[in-house]
Amino acid sequence: MKFINLLYTVAQVALISALLWICNLVVAHLGLPVPGSVLGLGILALLLISGAIPEKWIAIGAAWLMADMLLFFIPPVVAVLKYRTLLAPCGLGLIAILIIGTATVMIGTAWVVDRVFVLEHRRYQEKENA
Amino acid sequence: MRDLMWPVASLVGTTILYYLCKGHYKRTRQFWCTPLLAAPVIVVALVVVLHIPLPAYFEYTHWLVALLGPATIAFALPIYRQRHMIARYPLTIIAGVVTGLILGLVSNWGYARLFHIPGDIALSLLPRSVSTPFAIQVSAKLGGMPDVTALMVVLTGVIGMLVCEPVYRVTRVKSAHARGAGLGSASHGAGTAKAHELGAQEGVIASLTMIFTGISMVLVAPLLSRLFM
Repeated sequence: MKFINLLYTVAQVALISALLWICNLVVAHLGLPVPGSVLGLGILALLLISGAIPEKWIAIGAAWLMADMLLFFIPPVVAVLKYRTLLAPCGLGLIAILIIGTATVMIGTAWVVDRVFVLEHRRYQEKENA
Repeated sequence: MRDLMWPVASLVGTTILYYLCKGHYKRTRQFWCTPLLAAPVIVVALVVVLHIPLPAYFEYTHWLVALLGPATIAFALPIYRQRHMIARYPLTIIAGVVTGLILGLVSNWGYARLFHIPGDIALSLLPRSVSTPFAIQVSAKLGGMPDVTALMVVLTGVIGMLVCEPVYRVTRVKSAHARGAGLGSASHGAGTAKAHELGAQEGVIASLTMIFTGISMVLVAPLLSRLFM
């Protein structure tokens, strides 16, 4: 059973990679301002929503790609060893920015959404009751 | 033969270490073991201690990085599965995405100026609150260093998981949707994982906000590059 799952994962990741390859060609050919991966995301979402392809064709592969995405960016983090002399002098400043900046975005977004959601939820319920 | 030793060991070692960290974290749930933090730290330490030449390390591991492209496309699946949620609360999601996008760009740029961060590092900071595959694309487009951006994205994820509970307690954010949107827009995948721990609603909103913020940032990147260059 596990082996079958592995086969499905490999095949579906290959299918998604093929879509990426085609999208990269299209982007290069037409000189589009979006990366092939984002074009591919849009196309796959449309294919799924329109029912052109069933979810099970890609679900296992897509789930693996998302669940283990952390593995894919370990090498870029290692690459930072190349920049240590560049980053070291502003290390403390960077840490401060990361903490304050993350809190700023989190608080700001949550504050706005708190208000918008109340309005939209009320509107939705009115529509339901009407 | 000797030439292949480090490249093969790097690819196999990175992969095995990642899955070991992940398995260990699943069993213990200790914060410092999260594969987001522990796996890169251990790999970097090994590369330094064993004197693995960086070009040899990247010879095969760049195939792992190449999977970020297909991983971006995979985000179509949660969009498809949550299409009813998107149809029901479009304004909530748009509000989260737009606020997160603007606040992320403006706050990073402002704080970078405030702390006198050199220009190319500041540019690498700009897209750090969106998911790695998007952030790397944006960083390259803006003239930043994608590798540095990847590190900043990882650190942002860790910080987001750490600060969210105190931040939400102090600011009295109550609704599940707001908590999810804040986590998704400020700390991408790690924030989304944390949001799933807070609740199902939080998790769904966080993942949608994260994905759409990432997409929007990639879409506005060409405009931004004209602004900053």
